[in-house]
Amino acid sequence: MNTPADIRGLSIRPAPRWKIFGQLALIAVGILLLATNIKLHWLTDFIIFFILVLSFDLLYGYMGHLSFGHMLYYGAGAYVTGLFLVNVGKNPIAALFAGLAVAAILSAVLGLIVMRTHGASFALINMAFNEIGFFIIRSPLAKFTRGDDGLSCSSAKLFGIIDLSDDVSAFLFVGVMLLLVFAFLQVLTTSPFGILVRSIKENEKRVAFFGYDTFRSKWIVFVVSSTLAALAGSIFTLVRGFLSPQVISPFGNVEVIFAVLIGGAGNLYGALIGGAIFMLIKNFLPVMIPELSKVVGVKLPQWEMWLGIILLIIVFAMRKGVVGVIRSQWHYRLRAARSAP
Amino acid sequence: MNALITTQKLTKRFNGLTAVNRVDFGVHEGQTSGIIGPNGSGKTTLFNLLSGYFPPSDGAITFQGRDITRIPPHDRVKLGVGRTFQLVSVFTSLTAWENLVLTNVRFQRAEIAPPRFFFRTAQRAEILDDCAHALDWVGLTDKASANVAELSYGDKRMLEIAVVLSLKPRLLLLDEPLAGLSDHEIAQVVALIQRIKTERTVVIIEHKISKIVDLVERLVVMNEGRLICEGAPEDVLRDPQVRECYWGKEDQVAANL
Repeated sequence: MNTPADIRGLSIRPAPRWKIFGQLALIAVGILLLATNIKLHWLTDFIIFFILVLSFDLLYGYMGHLSFGHMLYYGAGAYVTGLFLVNVGKNPIAALFAGLAVAAILSAVLGLIVMRTHGASFALINMAFNEIGFFIIRSPLAKFTRGDDGLSCSSAKLFGIIDLSDDVSAFLFVGVMLLLVFAFLQVLTTSPFGILVRSIKENEKRVAFFGYDTFRSKWIVFVVSSTLAALAGSIFTLVRGFLSPQVISPFGNVEVIFAVLIGGAGNLYGALIGGAIFMLIKNFLPVMIPELSKVVGVKLPQWEMWLGIILLIIVFAMRKGVVGVIRSQWHYRLRAARSAP
Repeated sequence: MNALITTQKLTKRFNGLTAVNRVDFGVHEGQTSGIIGPNGSGKTTLFNLLSGYFPPSDGAITFQGRDITRIPPHDRVKLGVGRTFQLVSVFTSLTAWENLVLTNVRFQRAEIAPPRFFFRTAQRAEILDDCAHALDWVGLTDKASANVAELSYGDKRMLEIAVVLSLKPRLLLLDEPLAGLSDHEIAQVVALIQRIKTERTVVIIEHKISKIVDLVERLVVMNEGRLICEGAPEDVLRDPQVRECYWGKEDQVAANL
């Protein structure tokens, strides 16, 4: 067996897997920093959103497949977990796995159809399925889901001791879940399969000449991404105990796309940073704008307009998002330092 | 000698244009062949049919006695058909070694099995070492961690050949491997092909005969979708039909040689 030193002249070194713990610690510190300034109840929502954005980044950022129907799986996870709690049993872990299993099966079946399409048709066919799901939850299944009135679904204590309706417990629970999801995606995207996924993004047809069945790989990514979205949805149900059809509305997809674009697609840290920036904008601008209007003396436009302006700046000036800008600065400095005598 | 790949009346039509017209083409194991012909004569379309880029409109392809006419490209790679593209087909969003990872793990059963393929880092000693060997073979070791987008066109071509070689193809199809290269790079790639052809069956598409006439044992001439002549290079070049159909006038023959 060759040791790293034997790899002749290669300017790249093996990356040990334990480094992931350092990364997780970094994220934990970042989250705790946010926790010093933001109410835990809100931060819990932030983190659930981060998990959803991470799941979307695998599909869009890494594999280049932009979907407008990702909320179908978020909503499916949320509703299956909710319906399980109401109709089957109060065990949160069982309800969570029920949500994951149903979403995985649903995405596995629909994936066989949607993964045969590309580009705009992929985005729209997903949205079509999402609309169907949205409709089914609101109307034909209203007897079970209580339609627009919403569904109350409390769960028993996690492992018999942790009460998820408590803000601190809920925060810790979703925090651990975020770290698990991040670790899973970090491992997946740095594996040979991760490289395969990125090469599919660049040119799917050529990957076939590397000897890989691209359809199968794409399908796997779709199922994994959808199941992780369902995980975010199930967690939402567990910590909030109340569901409205809003969770499965295709409209929510726009927020996820915004977050990925702000942070930088195809980068897990980008997903987190973009998710955080988006949530801060969404939660604080509506509060700040009326106050700012008073100070300025002019009625300022709604927060959505500011979000639109930020997005325009990002699309035109920061193609690769916040992380892309940081990275290119870093590379620039590194090169300048190297070329300096 | 055994025929490695043969085609029977292979035809490809695009909306009325017959790009490849009832071609009976064959390559023997170990042989190095060149396909020449003017632009639009169907050379690349023939490669696309052989490698499975698209299915033929008619006819059949047999590889090692097996009908592969309807087999998708990734399965043909498994059987041993490897190809390069006219425009270099390496992935520019990846680094040089990342380009090699996929093809290097492809034929290692343990590496392609789910736990390793999905969950162990690609950046580990065993894989990097294979990549280093492949890069060393084409002289790109020092560019392992470079983004492919930053490599010169010649380096990309070398990398592409390294990538396709790590698929260990029995049949290697090179589509204009010398196009767009400088004289120095051409010499490098020709030297590389000289080394490859001792171990593998190679078919090279080339526009200019002079560059490959010393590399190949056999030349095939295509024109307007048909094979118009094949044989030893010197015989083919002497063939009056080839001279007439392909170049037209005698003075242009000299120019092309």
